[in-house]
This record gives sequence, C-alpha cells and structure tokens, in this order.
Amino acid sequence: MPVRISDEILGQVEKPSRYVGNEWNMVRKDPGSVKARFAFCFPDVYEIGMSHLGMKILYHLLNEREDVYCERVFAPWVDMESIMRREGIPLFAMETRDPVRDFDIVGFTLQYEMSYTNVVNMLDLAGIPIFSRDRGESDPFVCVGGPCAYNIEPLAEIVDFAVMGEAEEVINEVMDIYIKWKEEKAPRREFLHRIATVEGVYVPSFYSVSYTPEGTVSEIRPVSPEYPGRIRKRIIKDLDNAYFPEKIIVPYAGIVHDRVMLEIFRGCSHGCRFCQAGIIYRPVRERTVDGLIERARNLIRNTGYEEISLTSLSTSDYSQLGDLTGRLLEEMEPMKVSLSLPSLRIDSFSLDLMQKAQKVRKSGLTFAPEAGTQRLRDVINKGVNEEDLLKSCSLAFNGGWSNVKLYFMLGLPTETLDDVEGIADLAAKVVAEYKKVPREKRGKGLNVTVSTSCFVPKPFTPFQWEAQDTMDMLEMKQKHLKEKIRGIRQVSYNWHDSRLSFLEAVIARGDRRLGQVIVRAWEKGCKFDGWGDQFKFDAWMEAFDECGIDPAFYANRKRSFDEVLPWDHIDVGVSKKFLKRECEKAYRGELTVDCRLNCTGCGAGVFEGGICVEHRNKG
Amino acid sequence: MSIAIRVKFIRGEEAKYVSHLELIRVFERAVRRAGLPIAYTLGFNPHPRMVFGLPLAVGVTSEAEYADFELAEEMRPEDFMDRLNRQLPAGLKIVEAFVRRGKSNIMADIKGAAYSVVVCAGDMPESVDILKLTEVFLARPKIMAEKETKSGVKEIDIKPMIKKMSVDESFSMGDSEIAGACGNGKMFRFDIETSAGSEANLKPELLFASLGDFAGFRFKVLKVHRTGLFVANDNRD
Repeated sequence: MPVRISDEILGQVEKPSRYVGNEWNMVRKDPGSVKARFAFCFPDVYEIGMSHLGMKILYHLLNEREDVYCERVFAPWVDMESIMRREGIPLFAMETRDPVRDFDIVGFTLQYEMSYTNVVNMLDLAGIPIFSRDRGESDPFVCVGGPCAYNIEPLAEIVDFAVMGEAEEVINEVMDIYIKWKEEKAPRREFLHRIATVEGVYVPSFYSVSYTPEGTVSEIRPVSPEYPGRIRKRIIKDLDNAYFPEKIIVPYAGIVHDRVMLEIFRGCSHGCRFCQAGIIYRPVRERTVDGLIERARNLIRNTGYEEISLTSLSTSDYSQLGDLTGRLLEEMEPMKVSLSLPSLRIDSFSLDLMQKAQKVRKSGLTFAPEAGTQRLRDVINKGVNEEDLLKSCSLAFNGGWSNVKLYFMLGLPTETLDDVEGIADLAAKVVAEYKKVPREKRGKGLNVTVSTSCFVPKPFTPFQWEAQDTMDMLEMKQKHLKEKIRGIRQVSYNWHDSRLSFLEAVIARGDRRLGQVIVRAWEKGCKFDGWGDQFKFDAWMEAFDECGIDPAFYANRKRSFDEVLPWDHIDVGVSKKFLKRECEKAYRGELTVDCRLNCTGCGAGVFEGGICVEHRNKG
Repeated sequence: MSIAIRVKFIRGEEAKYVSHLELIRVFERAVRRAGLPIAYTLGFNPHPRMVFGLPLAVGVTSEAEYADFELAEEMRPEDFMDRLNRQLPAGLKIVEAFVRRGKSNIMADIKGAAYSVVVCAGDMPESVDILKLTEVFLARPKIMAEKETKSGVKEIDIKPMIKKMSVDESFSMGDSEIAGACGNGKMFRFDIETSAGSEANLKPELLFASLGDFAGFRFKVLKVHRTGLFVANDNRD
C-alpha cells in the first residue's frame, strides 16, 4: 500500500517537489506485474541524488527489464523526516510511494564516507533492521555500490552484499539469480550463497576478520573455501556498446547538475598519488565521437535540456576533443543548446573552445595545482609546473577572464611550512601575471580565490599507508596560510573543516569495528554529516569514546608496507606492488609518466580493456 | 513571418508544487522536445520568447493559466497545442490556443483573478452564521489587512480589490483528504474574485487572514484553485 503524503505535510516542508515525483520520463510500471522490485537509494537529498550519473544509468538499465521495477529513494531532509517520524510514515519510493521495506532489494550508492549515517537513518526510517544479522526471511536484501564500496568494511555488518566496480553487467546477473531464488522459495542465506561466487560481488558475512594484539588486521578469509579469497571488481570493456539511457528523467526542481551529462570516457591516466578515482576507475576507456554525437542528439530530443556537459575525470585528456566539441556545437546551435566543459586544462586551445561554447559570461576559471611548491607537486605526481600555470593564467587574463580559483590540499605527505607558504607565493605570482596585462585588454576587478582542502589518505592509492596530519596541525597550517595571504589584496582564502576531513579519513580506511561507532553516532543524532549546519562533531567523538575506539588509530597512524589492510581482499586491478613503488617514488620526488604515453605496469591490464589493450596492440 | 500564440492551460494536482521559475523551464524544455519553431532573444545568451501570466503560488491548482509564445514561423494554433501537449508532463495541459493580435503581452493584460478557496474554521462558535458574517465583513467602508512587505508589515485597505466573495452553500466535505486536515472544525468553500496583475494584486490568503481578524477566529486556507483570469483585452482575433 502506498503511503499518503497529504497536502498539509507538503505545505509545511522546504522544497516539496523533492517528494512528489511525476517528472518527465519517470518510469511507470504495474508493481504487480514484475518479479522483483529494486529500491535504488541515494543517501542524500533529491537535488544531489538526481544529479548523479550512475543512478540514472542503473535506474533505466534495470527498468529495461520487464521483470524488474526499479524506483528511486532519497533521504528526506530533516524537516520532512521529523514529520514522517511523528506521523509514522515509513521511507517510501518516488515512483509508487510504496514503503521501501516492501521491496526485494534495497541498493545504496556510496559516493562519500560521510553519507553512512544517512544509510543507517534511511534503513531505520524504512523499518528495515540495521544489522544484516537481524534481517529475517521477509526483509529485503540491502546492497551497496559506488566508489566507497571498495572498502565497505565499516558497513560490513549492515550490508548483505556489495557490488565492486561498474554494475552495468553484474546487476543483471544478480537480478537473474534473485528471481530464480525467489521462485524456488529458498531460504535467505541461500541467495547470498549463490551470488557470493559471482565475479564482483562481495558478501561480507561470508568473510571473517581476525586482529593482531596491536589492533591491526591479521587476516581476512572466507568462511568456506567455496568463496573467492579475493574479490575482483568488474568493468565494462567496450564502453561504446555499453548500455546508456537515452530517456533520462527531467526534474521539475532545480537539481545540482540539471543538464545532459555526456560521459566521454572512464578512468584517468595521470596517476596523481593522492587520487582514489584515478586508480579505481582504471583502465581508461573512451567512447567514440560518432557514438557520443548520436547519444547527445537522442538525449536532447528526449529531455529538451538546454545544456550538455561533458563528463569525465579530465576533459582535456579525451583524444578527439576538438572533433567532438566542433561537431556538438554545430549540431546543437539551431536548438540553442549550450555546451559546458568542466575540468578542462587551461591552454590556448581550451580558452578558444570555452569562448566558442559559452559565448559570453566569463565565469571563473579553476586551476588545481594541489600543492604550493614544485617539490611537493612532484611528490604527488601532479604534472603541473609553475611556468605552465602562470602561462595559462596569463592567457586567460589576456582573454578577459579575471576570476580565478586555485585549489590546494594541506597535509600532503612530506609537507613542510615552506610548502604551505608556497601556496601564498603562487597566488601572488598569479596576481603579478594579471598586472602585466595591459589595462584595456584585461577584465576588470581581479579576484583570486585560494581554497584548501585537507588531505585524506584513501585506500587503493599510493598514499594509503600515510598518516593524516592531526586536526591541530591542519588548523595551524590553515592559520599560517591565512596570515601569509592577508597581505595580498586581490586574494581571498577559504578552507575546509579539518574535523570533517578527520572523520572522512577514519572511515575511509576503517575496518569492521567502526560499524558500531557509525550506528552509535547515528543514535546520537548524526546524519547529513556533509552538510555544515547538520554536522555534529562532538557527538561523533562521544560515539568513539563509548565504543572504546580511538579514531586517531585510523586517521593519524602511519602503516608499514607489510601491514594487512582491511581492504586487501578486494582486487581493483591495480596491484599493491605498484602502489608501494609509487609511494617510494613519491618520497624521492620522482615523477611517473601519464600511462597514455607509456604503460606504467599498474596491473589494470588484467581487465583487457581500453588503453591497456591499445598499448599492447601498438607493440 | 513571426506570430505570437496565446494559450490557456491548466495546472493540476501533479504539477502544483512547481514554482513559477520551474514552470517556465518545464515549458522551455517541452517546446524543445516538441521541436516547435520558437523565436529566441538576440544576443550572446539566447532565451526562448515566452511570457507567462500571473505567477501562481506553490501548492495552488488552476484551470485558467495563460502564456504567450512567439514563433519564428507561421503555424496553426491547434497544431501548436497538440504538439506541445504531447510533451507536457502530468498535471499540465493546454486547453485553448489562438493567434494573439497586437503587441501587448499577457502580463500587462491581466486585471483580475477568480478562485475557489476551501477554508477550515476550527474555532468557529456554533452561533456564527457564515453567510451573515461574510455579508457584514464586506459591508464595511474599509476592509483592513496586514500585508507583509519588504519594509515590514503594512496596513492596507483591500476593499477596492475584492470584486466578489460568496459562500458556496452546495459544498460538502466529500473530499476525505482535506476533511482530515480540519479535524472537527467546520469547512467552507468560497468563490472569490480579486484584483490581480501588476497594478493591484490581492492573494486569497490575505483576504481570509483579514476575515479571520474581523471574526475573531482563524480561517485556515486548505485548498486554493484558480478558476479564471480576467484580462482587459485578450487580443483575440
């Protein structure tokens, strides 16, 4: 039975359109006519979840099947949640407004560690037992996917299974097994047993973890030899022929990315040593220009969107960018559809392109040198030097841009105060570059914004063994930089909350013992931790204390290379040997080339896809 | 040869939470999906030439909304209506389309609006007769209301803006969804006509707040449905 959300309730909440659905291209099916119902949950509000490309792909992919109905579920904002709890309204799906607990499979996409309390909150609001061991024969299965699923250990006791890697193929295999299992009316455990041997599926309850007296992991092993010792992620080899929805939902309410997102390639070949995305999405696989043009045309025809955005980890790396953008601009002009080009490396080609694409509005340009000195940029393998950066800025200033954002990280391995001061020096040099441009040529009112985030060591990166700077240390560095920047008039400075980055570091490299802390923090009212006004740091610290767990053990401790890491049984293709080698090269300040130029032997070649295969074919 | 088409459309339950700005975007995207020859503004950032009548508050339904579309080429209004209707989401539907003559756009033409309003009078004493109360309320020489403006609360006389106000005696609490929202209180439906548009605009909520102040108990507005918009000149052929 669908839940009833009265006008009176919707009249009381902020942005009621978050809860009403009925958008253009929403999939409508008779729930009685399908064999399985899938609730695709995004642990954040509608505007954020609807902006996520992965959700769009999987929603439509599952709904291509006649035997499955996939619906969307978002976290109600706190105003709506308190009404729902007061009125006894359970968490419901957008399409039918049926309670989520009546679905067969409840899947969460995990994009960010600080959304875990929302996962717990949504399960509770749905009336589904939080721990997998408490779920009975009539409860749905809870699964997760997305980048954070690669180290799902902190949620190991909550999720029934996790999907590693790109779910486009594996999700269909899981649904086939589910439907067969359901028709046989087999016991709950039997379903998990059957999918545990599907490549890319991880059932945490079938793996046991033991610990050393020092508190580190000593071993993670399957409880039975039937299950694989290592779980390897899945990828889509041929992206061009992979499923891609052409009738995506067009929301009424303004969402964060309210446009057609055209994914031009997956993966990244740069190998920045702090970057998890750069490792876990390997190998690099491009789509062809013809395929992309065809998709863009159909998407605009079916959505009516006024803008197309090229998406990837680094737009400039796309090998056919000139051809693609030229043809897209030409095709879209009569329909007045504009093109946006995020994460573009700034050079004369891209500036020219931006001028053609965006016509006017010289909005801000973004640069991400990440570190203030060449020494530290070499440590992190960010292949950017000062000369290039200043040249790019000069080009932009000559082209009339006068708004520049510079992104850096504080707390990178080996960082000293010299490196921190280097950030201010670099900002000053950018200002000097502006002043060199003749008055009549440059845009008015220079505005340089320096932003620093705090480095968070992530699993599956060359820095996965590193200690995060303590919060005190990070705050000291922020203060120091603030002092240095104060003297430069056209530069403003903002920084991230080190407390949030600290928790992110704890959970990102956490093990199974953190599950109880997350649930405890949620019991103390933590949710929407990534939303500044909702973040309750003190409650988190109490939760750690009450569970007898020291968060610094996870965030601020340097691990040795031979320590067993909580995610060692997960295989993302890139080998631990490669990561170790990269870490050692980092200490020596040695660069590693872009793997489009020369294979660096990272291990992702096992997937036999993308540039790895192209390399081999070249010789 | 460009033409302007004026349409009348309804906004039903499914689309009542769409804000005015969102509504414009919904139409813009529907026009693009339908491949209609809409005219665009000149300049670097071209926008489709569409003008919508009086914005409708979020949560309000209507059977009489108006919009003007300028087209770059000649087209039969019926064809325009058919093609656009096929691309409009649930809750939005064009019911009439005609070629607009003259230059003035819909915004400038609107002078008044009619609404059907369901209210809940939770604390109304048994002794009060709603018909009598309304009659006395309207008969006063001035009807004051507290209007919230950007510079604070202002007392204004709304009497010149009330064109009609009557209690619908045939109304019964058949609609169970709103019946629950009134508890044991009494519910009434009013038919009202008020000034609307850029010169003078009276929202139903303000009118019932004023009635409540006069009566000494509150009239909670449960449902507002716009039944008509009145134009000085609809520029029809």
